This record gives sequence, structure tokens and C-alpha cells, in this order.
Amino acid sequence: MSDNQLAFIFPAFTSDYTNHPGHGIPGFALQFDTFLRTASNKVDPLLKEFTFTGNTFLEDELLTQYLTYIYSCASASALRNLGFSPSMNAGYSMGIYASLFDAGSVSFETGLELIRLAFQSLKMAISSASFGMVSVIGLSGRDIHHLIDQYDLRVEITNQNASPSFVLSGFLDDVMAFMKLAMEEGALHTRDLGVSIPYHASFLKEGAKHFGKLISSLEIKQPENKIISMIDQTLLLTPSIIRQELINNLYYPLNWFRTKQVMLEHQVSVFVECGPSKGLTKNSKFVEGNFRFYSLNSFPLNQI
Amino acid sequence: MATITEKTKEEVKEVVYSFFAEECEVDIEQINENTSIIKDLDGDSLMFLELIEIFKKKYNLDIELKVIGKYAVKHPVSTIGQLIEMQLLIIEHENRLLDIEP
Repeated sequence: MSDNQLAFIFPAFTSDYTNHPGHGIPGFALQFDTFLRTASNKVDPLLKEFTFTGNTFLEDELLTQYLTYIYSCASASALRNLGFSPSMNAGYSMGIYASLFDAGSVSFETGLELIRLAFQSLKMAISSASFGMVSVIGLSGRDIHHLIDQYDLRVEITNQNASPSFVLSGFLDDVMAFMKLAMEEGALHTRDLGVSIPYHASFLKEGAKHFGKLISSLEIKQPENKIISMIDQTLLLTPSIIRQELINNLYYPLNWFRTKQVMLEHQVSVFVECGPSKGLTKNSKFVEGNFRFYSLNSFPLNQI
Repeated sequence: MATITEKTKEEVKEVVYSFFAEECEVDIEQINENTSIIKDLDGDSLMFLELIEIFKKKYNLDIELKVIGKYAVKHPVSTIGQLIEMQLLIIEHENRLLDIEP
């Protein structure tokens, strides 16, 4: 490894497993199978039926979260087995669980349990109300706030991916209304993210508090490398800070754009997206700086 | 308002072809004016945004993204040829892009 400061980045979910980028990483397949078997036994036997080209459970939010976690943990483990050690890592949204596993802060099984408890707590908290999330590209934060205020929409900005790229969460009717209004306002693109939980929004505060009680007895250790918060870009240095971050991560807005900038300030120069998609890699081009950002299939194993 | 010369047209075409060849990992020879950005190249809105930023820097353009968004709603782009035409209009008219409509 040269002087390049390496960071592993863990995504939230994927919407496609075909042509997954990790298949060329030596050792990935074995790690993935091992983790998949463990998860099948621990949280849901249906996971045994997963295949990359067939049964991918994309319509099931919880199973998709498990699978993205399994994939992320397997790819990071394979890279570590090849000698790559990140100086820092970050979990994008629900990618926080894989980032904690990778940093040695939680066991693989505890990560699965965190995902299960978070999902169940949030589902219970939103009860029968319909929620959703949307991404919007091409409007500024000010334009978006203006639309929300003008039409009194029950939606919140819950992440900024790039200067003109945001994610919003809220009541489904208002999310749909926002999509239409945003296009009329001049957005280049909007997309329904197809989830039923308004992640990172204040609507989830009670569910997050309940989650906090449920995880109080789970073992969380001091991380072996730096983990950065996507909420306020501080370092998650101790188990108690991590425990609070896990709770806050469910109902506080994130800022991925700012997180990347702060990681650059920490001298990170090489990023690897440890997950089944290339979404964060594509998104990385809107941050200025001297760095390289790779998806798993483009990561030059012999040149870093 | 900029004047679009043959040189500008060639430059824009070259940038667009090279950009999609690299981003979509396809041979540049496979791209032509009728190539569908989504169906043939698996392109997406982030690529469109990135391309706009490239041209904003290259030609020092004064244009708000939402002006382009409003124009694109009425004049949707699906092929490489249409995209090049739109980029040329953006370079020519900048923030007055919507004024060229009847």
C-alpha cells in the first residue's frame, strides 16, 4: 500500500444484483456464501434462496437490507484479506451497520440484529401511515425548501448527495406531490426510491428512541479504524458515541456531500464503494478534490 | 449570447462522445447520433448533470440548472444527437434558453 489514505464506503441498498461489481474480487464469493449462510440461520431462512441472477428479494425492504449488508461485509472482508486496510470508513445511511462490522465495532451477527431491530422499531412507529422517499436532481436546497413551505408539504430533506442532488422523506401523498412540483420547478430528474419508511426524517423520532432501548444490551466495541458520522461529520470514537449515532442515524438528516469533503480534509485520497452497486461512485464526481473513487469492479487491486 | 461556430459544434460533439464512451465503458465507435442514452448506453441523470457541469466550465456559462430542467420537460432528450443539440442551445442562449420558445 502506498501513501494513499484508503477509505471503505458502505452503501444503503441496491436495486440491482445483476453484473454485481464484486465478482472479480478474489475471495469475495467464499466470504459472501459464508455470511449468507450465517444470516440465513440467524435472521431469515429465506435468504438461502438468494441468487444473483434470480431470487434477489428486491421487493422486500428488510431482506434487501440484509443482503446489502452481507454483500458489503463480504467485499470489505475480501479486500482486507488481500491486504487493504482503510484508515477510515463511512456508512451511507443504512450502510452504517456494515461500516461498524468492518471497523471491528460489532460482530457480523450483531450487525444483522441491529438491522432487524431498526426495521421493526420504525415499522411499528409509523403504524399504518404511508410514507416514501424521493431523490431529486437539479434543484438547490433553497428551491426545495421553498416548495415545501409554499405547498405545506409534510416532507423533509434527509440527505444531500451533491450540490444539486438531494433525498427527501415524508408522507407518501406529499412525496408524490413534491415529485410533480419539483419537475415543474425545473428539476432535471426525480425518482421514487420505493421504500415505505421515511428514513432520516423526524417522523421516526419515537421509533428511533424505542430502537435505542432495544439495542442497549448489544455489544459495541471501540472501532479499530476511524468511522465518520454522516450526520455531523465527527469521528465515532467510542461505543457510547456509536450507540447514540445508531439511534440518531434513523431520524436525523444526513449529508453525504459534506461527509466526502471532510474525509478529504482527513487526507483520504482513495475511496472504495464496498457494495453491490456503483451509485456512490457515480455520485462522487460532484466533489472537488484530489482523490479517486472506485466501485469494486474498477478498484485496481495491484496498483494502489 | 454566444455564436455557435462549426468549431463549437465539433468540440461539443467530441466532448459528448468521449464522455459517454468513458462513463458507459463502450467503444466510441459504437456511439452515433441515434444512440439512445438510456436504452443503449444505460445513461442516467447524474451523467447528464455531469456533462452540463463540464460545459459550464468549458464555456464559462451563466445558466441555472432549473432553466435547463424546465426546457428539458418540454423538449425531452433521448438520443446523443438530441443531447448535442440541446447543449449547443444551452451554450448559445444560457439563462435565456426559455426565451427562444414561441
